[in-house]
Amino acid sequence: MAFAVTARRRPARTAETARRGVLTAVGAAAAVLFLLPLWWMTASALRPQEETFGTLSPVSVWTVLPRHLTAENFGRLGEAGFTLAMANSVLVAAVTVVVGLAICSMAAFALAVLDFPGRTAVFAVMVVSFLIPFDAIAIPLSSVFRDVGLQNTYAGLILPGIGNGLAVFLLRSFFLGIPQELAEAGRVDGLSWWGVFWRVHLPLSQPALIGAGLILFVFQWQSYMWPLLIAPDPAKKVAPVAIAQFAGEHGVDFGGIFAGAVVTTAAPLLVLLFFQRYFTQSLSASGLKG
Amino acid sequence: MATQATVATEPDTGAAAVPPRRGRRHRDLWVALAFVAPALLAAVVLRVWPMVRAVTDSLHSTPLGFGPTEWVGLEQYRALLGDPAFLNSLVVTAVFGVVINPLQVLLALALALLLNARLPATGLMRTLIFLPVAVPQSVSAVIWAIAYRPDGPLNGTLALFGLDGLRYLTSPGQALPSLMVIVSWIGVGYWMMFLIAGLKEIDPTLYEAAQIDGAGRWRQLVSITIPQLRRQLIFVLVADTISNLLVFAPVQILTNGGPNGRTDLIMNNIFERAYVAADTGSAAAATVILVVVALAIVVVQFRLLGTGEED
Repeated sequence: MAFAVTARRRPARTAETARRGVLTAVGAAAAVLFLLPLWWMTASALRPQEETFGTLSPVSVWTVLPRHLTAENFGRLGEAGFTLAMANSVLVAAVTVVVGLAICSMAAFALAVLDFPGRTAVFAVMVVSFLIPFDAIAIPLSSVFRDVGLQNTYAGLILPGIGNGLAVFLLRSFFLGIPQELAEAGRVDGLSWWGVFWRVHLPLSQPALIGAGLILFVFQWQSYMWPLLIAPDPAKKVAPVAIAQFAGEHGVDFGGIFAGAVVTTAAPLLVLLFFQRYFTQSLSASGLKG
Repeated sequence: MATQATVATEPDTGAAAVPPRRGRRHRDLWVALAFVAPALLAAVVLRVWPMVRAVTDSLHSTPLGFGPTEWVGLEQYRALLGDPAFLNSLVVTAVFGVVINPLQVLLALALALLLNARLPATGLMRTLIFLPVAVPQSVSAVIWAIAYRPDGPLNGTLALFGLDGLRYLTSPGQALPSLMVIVSWIGVGYWMMFLIAGLKEIDPTLYEAAQIDGAGRWRQLVSITIPQLRRQLIFVLVADTISNLLVFAPVQILTNGGPNGRTDLIMNNIFERAYVAADTGSAAAATVILVVVALAIVVVQFRLLGTGEED
């Protein structure tokens, strides 16, 4: 940015090359440092436990490179109920994304396109509500959910994820960028408001929908405290809770812990890598503009 | 922030060609309500209701094993503010925040500046630094727990240089910094992305003009980049502060607040009040205090963003 634009082509060329070399090295070192824990986790999941701990002190290249590849660490996860936990996580996240997108995009449409008395008030209620961080009120919310019989149910796990302020605001600011004339034209052509929403705004908003979907997905897949509070039943355990409990109960089965960590991380990692562009776009759009 | 955009969509008075719609207004209200009702309901049920619940619970006593019953006024709050464990938790949370928030924002800013420069492979580097964001916090916690073991890779690295191993999470002095490392590993890449997005929005002609005026790199950073990035910096600082205020999974999984309460961040303290001590009233009062603090931080954000903002 600021530095690079300079690019003076005068005597200082070698100095400039050296500077770029140093900066690149610093960037690469930072990237490696951030990657290292994940790399080590994956390498250790793929090798026998003795090898993981045999290569630790002092560290060498074999600390991060597996010599004997094996999948046996993953085999033990099935016995520990990990398959069920993964299935629960996938189910909960998938339903959250679908239902959440429906609810959030409808609200965003009303707030951006429709003109109705009380719109400002509705918007204010939504803004103020979602300013309260979810984690902060999770404990009293779990009391409320228990009182209405949502403990140990999929609904109990899913519901907190479907109304997401960030997703609403992101979609709303995207809808605001769609010319109002398109909506009016659709109305003149005989579309209902639902038709305008479904045939005009949604098809035009794919990037924002992916961004909002990712926000909903990441929130739900990262969720740790809420499942701990609302779904103590092992049958409703989700993956992030399963890995923590597995680590607590099988404290010596490090191979299994690494394998579970890889499995729990793989899904969100692949999704985020694949959609990274949309995610970063939504980051810059949400909260900062609108 | 909201007002500006809302105003922009108000039915344009001047721009003709829009048929008069007075007659439809009433029916549109019901259509609009149908669209907005599910999300509005979610907002109220998931945020307002538990908040009301926390306030009422906090005004009642909690006989062991039962729900809160008897009205006690502000007694829970008075008890909390006289409870050394709660005060300790406030201090630990404050120390954690005062150290980690500037640290993370500065690190995120440095990385953003570095990886927004014209260097080879910045896209790959950005992605690698961003990766930990995808890792669930509980996974990060269990992996770092192994890394922090006495016979783990961190002490193995120290041994390489002939240094003695550290105790990390089990040492009263090192436990909180050890948590900061984990939380920063998770978060810095996320905040970096916001700042990179902001850097990309800065008008390049500003830098060209500065160069013509003979401004050096440092001068450009201080006079152009930082002021132009003000909005994103404030947002990141506030959002980061809130997220660090609510750190829970690493504490609950790794230290349970120990050793000696040295890592008893506020969320862990509240969780233990509610689920270990089964003291709903006390946990509710602590929750109310936490939410008030969080909202105060957000209000400060709006104040900072509101003034001197003119585009």
